[in-house]
Amino acid sequence: MRAYLAKRLLWTLVATWITVTITFLLLELSPVSASEAAFIDRQVQAGMEYEAAAELYDRQLGGGGTATERYLDFVVGLATLEWGHSTTYNRPVVDVVADAWVYSVQYVLPATVVAVVVGFAIGLYSATHQYSAGDYAATTLAFVGVSLPNFWFAVICILVGGVWLGWFPTHYTTDVPGLLSLANAHQLVLPTFVLGTAAIASQARYARAESLEYVRADFVTAARSKGISERAVAVRHVLRPASVPLATVLVGDVLGLLFAGAYVIEVIFGIPGLGLVSYRAILQGDTSLVLATTLIPVFVAILGNLCQDVAYTLLDPRIELGEGR
Amino acid sequence: MTSDRTTSDPLLEVDDLRVAFHTDAGLVRAVDGVSFSVGRGETTCLVGESGSGKSVTAEAITRLTPSPPGEIDGGTVRFDGEDVTRATDSRLRELRGNRIAHVFQDPASALNPVYTVGAQIREAIRAHRDVGKRAARARAIDLLDATGIPEPATRVDDYPHEFSGGMKQRVCIAIALACDPDLLIADEPTSALDATVEAGILDLFAELRAAFGTSLLFITHDLGVASRIADRVVVLYAGRVMESGPASAVFDRPAHPYTRALLACRPGVPGGSRPIPGSLPDPVDPPDGCRFAERCPHAIAACRDGEHPARHRVGDDDHHVSCIHYEGNEGTELGPPPGEGAAWPAWSTRAGGRDE
Repeated sequence: MRAYLAKRLLWTLVATWITVTITFLLLELSPVSASEAAFIDRQVQAGMEYEAAAELYDRQLGGGGTATERYLDFVVGLATLEWGHSTTYNRPVVDVVADAWVYSVQYVLPATVVAVVVGFAIGLYSATHQYSAGDYAATTLAFVGVSLPNFWFAVICILVGGVWLGWFPTHYTTDVPGLLSLANAHQLVLPTFVLGTAAIASQARYARAESLEYVRADFVTAARSKGISERAVAVRHVLRPASVPLATVLVGDVLGLLFAGAYVIEVIFGIPGLGLVSYRAILQGDTSLVLATTLIPVFVAILGNLCQDVAYTLLDPRIELGEGR
Repeated sequence: MTSDRTTSDPLLEVDDLRVAFHTDAGLVRAVDGVSFSVGRGETTCLVGESGSGKSVTAEAITRLTPSPPGEIDGGTVRFDGEDVTRATDSRLRELRGNRIAHVFQDPASALNPVYTVGAQIREAIRAHRDVGKRAARARAIDLLDATGIPEPATRVDDYPHEFSGGMKQRVCIAIALACDPDLLIADEPTSALDATVEAGILDLFAELRAAFGTSLLFITHDLGVASRIADRVVVLYAGRVMESGPASAVFDRPAHPYTRALLACRPGVPGGSRPIPGSLPDPVDPPDGCRFAERCPHAIAACRDGEHPARHRVGDDDHHVSCIHYEGNEGTELGPPPGEGAAWPAWSTRAGGRDE
């Protein structure tokens, strides 16, 4: 067990190193930041001292020193959270990210939990009632949910829920008593709903496909022959074994869906989370901030994969742990 | 036994059971009017080749038939006087595992890989007995011990993949015995195992039947196995009963040409094993008359007409055969088929069976 975890941890470090190195190479080769003068000019206009701006450029974007020195500076900078200065917000990148992430998490997290719980439940029902009316309804809805583009669905939801019915605000505002207030929850209903429907649909499809692998398994018939309830059969003998392959798609799928979805949703609803920050950074050519908002999802994905590897060992007792019992 | 019925009644009476499967090719009547019974404390063997409807019959008894595509569309299954085909779902759950338990063919796939064997035995116990976790665990250890698993107290926490094939089947038998059932239905429980392991499992069944007083419905394609453990034998072919009777009568004086052909194709038969020519009839559109006629050396034109041949008594025992050659000559024996003469093998099967 320990050898297995050590191996996975080592791989996580290697993956991180590869990501960082590729990012550095891309920056080195990128023509976008080729003009040091333009960069320093922008920094000075944004209120930075000239020397500080020049030094920042050297450290961040490849001015001065050998390639090795620049590389080491880059890696050390990332590790010590010296991620540079955002020209868009005129603040250190780390501060911008620190303020923004909570706005993303506040609706991404509930949407994820709902998507996994509801999506798996729908998928399991579909699989155990294959070709029934309920299955056809669920499959059709899931297909629609996956096919609806978020940008269009978000606008329709604003139109219906915000404009016609007037039940929800049409855009997000930070002018609420607090993130845990009822008013904040109220304005997050539509974004969570839009993000959640796509995620539920996608999870339901995976859960149905994986559960179908098991509904006809011999051990399911054997479990039924013990006289346990159909619900116990479905949860203990279909969903539980299906959770092993489901865990493999879960992390990658959920992260991809949520980061991509969050981008669109934050821009449309005006939620000042990481997606909107990243969007503005790209429009402004704010390299340091773009770098941060792209690397963060990558690091989250790498960490997610590590969690997934650990989850495997708990979910499937047959996984070889890399050492003899 | 919790019944007030007389013990002379059979424990299980299957009467004219019909099970059909809706397939793309059409309706497959896998079991097409099968009748037999299992007496209290008795072992009844269902024998026949693959595709004869043995397993479908076994699963239909507790309505485990997957539906769709399967459907029990006729007949009755009386268990201790109660028609199981009309039982409610909750009543069915009370019977399953509690009074009628199954052991399946492949123990490697009948155990859920993600739970310990102890958890799977406890699940069977707690489905019907209101006992705590600790008591259920103690019972699980006892059951593993009774089924011949060494060091049951430590093995109870192991996962199925940590057991060998034979040991897995012992675990499955332990699960089946969890609630001390009246009837154990074992569907080819040794077919997936090595021959050496098979003997041990067969001995275990005999031992447990004596210890627990369980009636046994044993399904096998292997007549050698059937001859070792059966009290009664029911021979199935293409979803129909060809012959049934006490094991001694069926094996010593096989009446149906199909039973004789099955006995003659066993390996190690004196005079050499004879394969049965041809193959099973089309399950979607079976022929009229006797379904074995196409492959039968005794077949005459009348065999291919009308319904499945009626049941005729053979000899003095409760020994019956469905073959028109016995019509009007109950109690006589069918001679060798035309052209075979003395080369047709003798029917003493108790000697010369496998593993003996």
